Amino acid sequence: MTAPPAVTADDAELIRRSHDDPEAFAALFDRYAGMLYRYVSRRLGPETAEDLVGDTFLAAFGGRRRYDLSQPDARPWLFGIVTKIMARHHRREAAHYRALRRSPVDGPDDGPADRVAAGVAAWASRAELAGALAALPGRDRDVLLLVAWGDLTYEEVACALSIPVGTVRSRLNRARRKVRAAFGGVDPTAADPAAEEG
Amino acid sequence: MDDLSPLRDLGRALEHDPPPSLARQRSRLTDAARDPRARRGLRRRRPRGWTALALAACAVAALLLVPAVLLRPDGHHRKPVNGLTHAANRPMNVLILGSDVRGPADGAHPAPARSDTIVLVRLPADRKNVTVVSLPRDLMVQRPSCLLSDGTRTTPGRGQINGAYSEGGLACAIKTVESVASVRIDQAVVLEFGGFARIVDALGGVPVTLPVDVNDPASGLHLGAGKHMLNGKDALAYARLRHGIGDGSDLSRIKRQQKFMAAVYERAHHLMLSNPIRFAEFLRLSTASVRAIPSLDLANMKALAESLTRTGSSRPHFVTLPNRPDASDPNRLEVDKPKADQVLAPFREP
Repeated sequence: MTAPPAVTADDAELIRRSHDDPEAFAALFDRYAGMLYRYVSRRLGPETAEDLVGDTFLAAFGGRRRYDLSQPDARPWLFGIVTKIMARHHRREAAHYRALRRSPVDGPDDGPADRVAAGVAAWASRAELAGALAALPGRDRDVLLLVAWGDLTYEEVACALSIPVGTVRSRLNRARRKVRAAFGGVDPTAADPAAEEG
Repeated sequence: MDDLSPLRDLGRALEHDPPPSLARQRSRLTDAARDPRARRGLRRRRPRGWTALALAACAVAALLLVPAVLLRPDGHHRKPVNGLTHAANRPMNVLILGSDVRGPADGAHPAPARSDTIVLVRLPADRKNVTVVSLPRDLMVQRPSCLLSDGTRTTPGRGQINGAYSEGGLACAIKTVESVASVRIDQAVVLEFGGFARIVDALGGVPVTLPVDVNDPASGLHLGAGKHMLNGKDALAYARLRHGIGDGSDLSRIKRQQKFMAAVYERAHHLMLSNPIRFAEFLRLSTASVRAIPSLDLANMKALAESLTRTGSSRPHFVTLPNRPDASDPNRLEVDKPKADQVLAPFREP
């Protein structure tokens, strides 16, 4: 029998294999470390992201027997773990966003002059947006960013955070309302004075 | 969703690419994995809490799931997964359990689940003559001692075959069937009660023909004699029915389940050819409704179901493991060894 490419196995299969062969778990790292790094770098900056991704995989490895093998996609599980670990850094995260308000870093919008001009305007709004993110309660921010930045579906967020889908929806709605308000309240459905705190 | 796009832009602007030094974190992980403690306390085949199982007649639907098995490594040798072409040429023995209680996935005290239906499936290398052998749940057998998740062992001895599952979980059911039938099991699939109904509904119902009226107050099933298209709920009641039809025995229930399995198989087969979109939905629901060791995967399942058509596999052959009334308890059954050996002979081929 020829050695098969490990990449053909789904996540659950890799994790199942790692029960007997712990080193098989490294394939999961190869698959998702980059994705998690990008996600964490958005929320906490690149300085801490690296260690945090390492911590996440160690925690995942330690808990691999609790993984529900009927779930072929391990992303929700990993995002759930990284969310828990990031919660310890919530102050740093808020500071990360607030710093953005003061001195926006260079955006990716370098290029033709008109795009740069548009970029400047966008950055002004982004600073507001970052401020709104910093002001969100952690639980609401987790849901919002797992959807917007982690590209998880509502069901996957529910699975990642071990909360009902209904709770995902309500937290997401609340977070969106506040973020929209910060962005200029363009959405008429957000005409709720209580949400205009910026 | 549009109101999230400024937020998405912000995210992209904040994002950093993974640096090469991220490899250090991989080393942390592999170091931990190489630590001998990581291997300690591992059991060979199943994760903890593997107790919850599911209903039987689903065994039917499992005939389509079973092919997925072929992509899987041989559990006994822990060989890695092989490519489809390679694995598809390997003969496989598959154990399918259906049971009516589902315990918590990882609970310390899962509800005792009964394996209502026990089926062995032989997929020969050419996939041409699939054999499905039902094992009556009332069969009295010599049960081996099984290791439990808490480290204790079950008492070996003579007992009803389905007790192996409720006492020792799937691992114990596998071990017991392996010892009773003298066959090696390459894959085990457990079907859930609710999953069965969902699978039938995904097929748009399954046709059955009743020789007599059925009135079963226990399940609420009331049907006149003749042909019916059963939805998931009714199909479940029908598959489990023990009273009000046939001679009321477990054996007549098995016959009914086998017929039903054949009907589901044909229906699924028809759907695969006539309505690929509905069939994909059926497969998706099926994967979600079974637990398998080793686990099943949707893409693999689909490829395999299709490979079954390609090889032109005929309708499976359904039999019940030959048995007779138990010498010590006429209300129980025991294996009719010489005849059973004939039925099981193909399962023992390499």
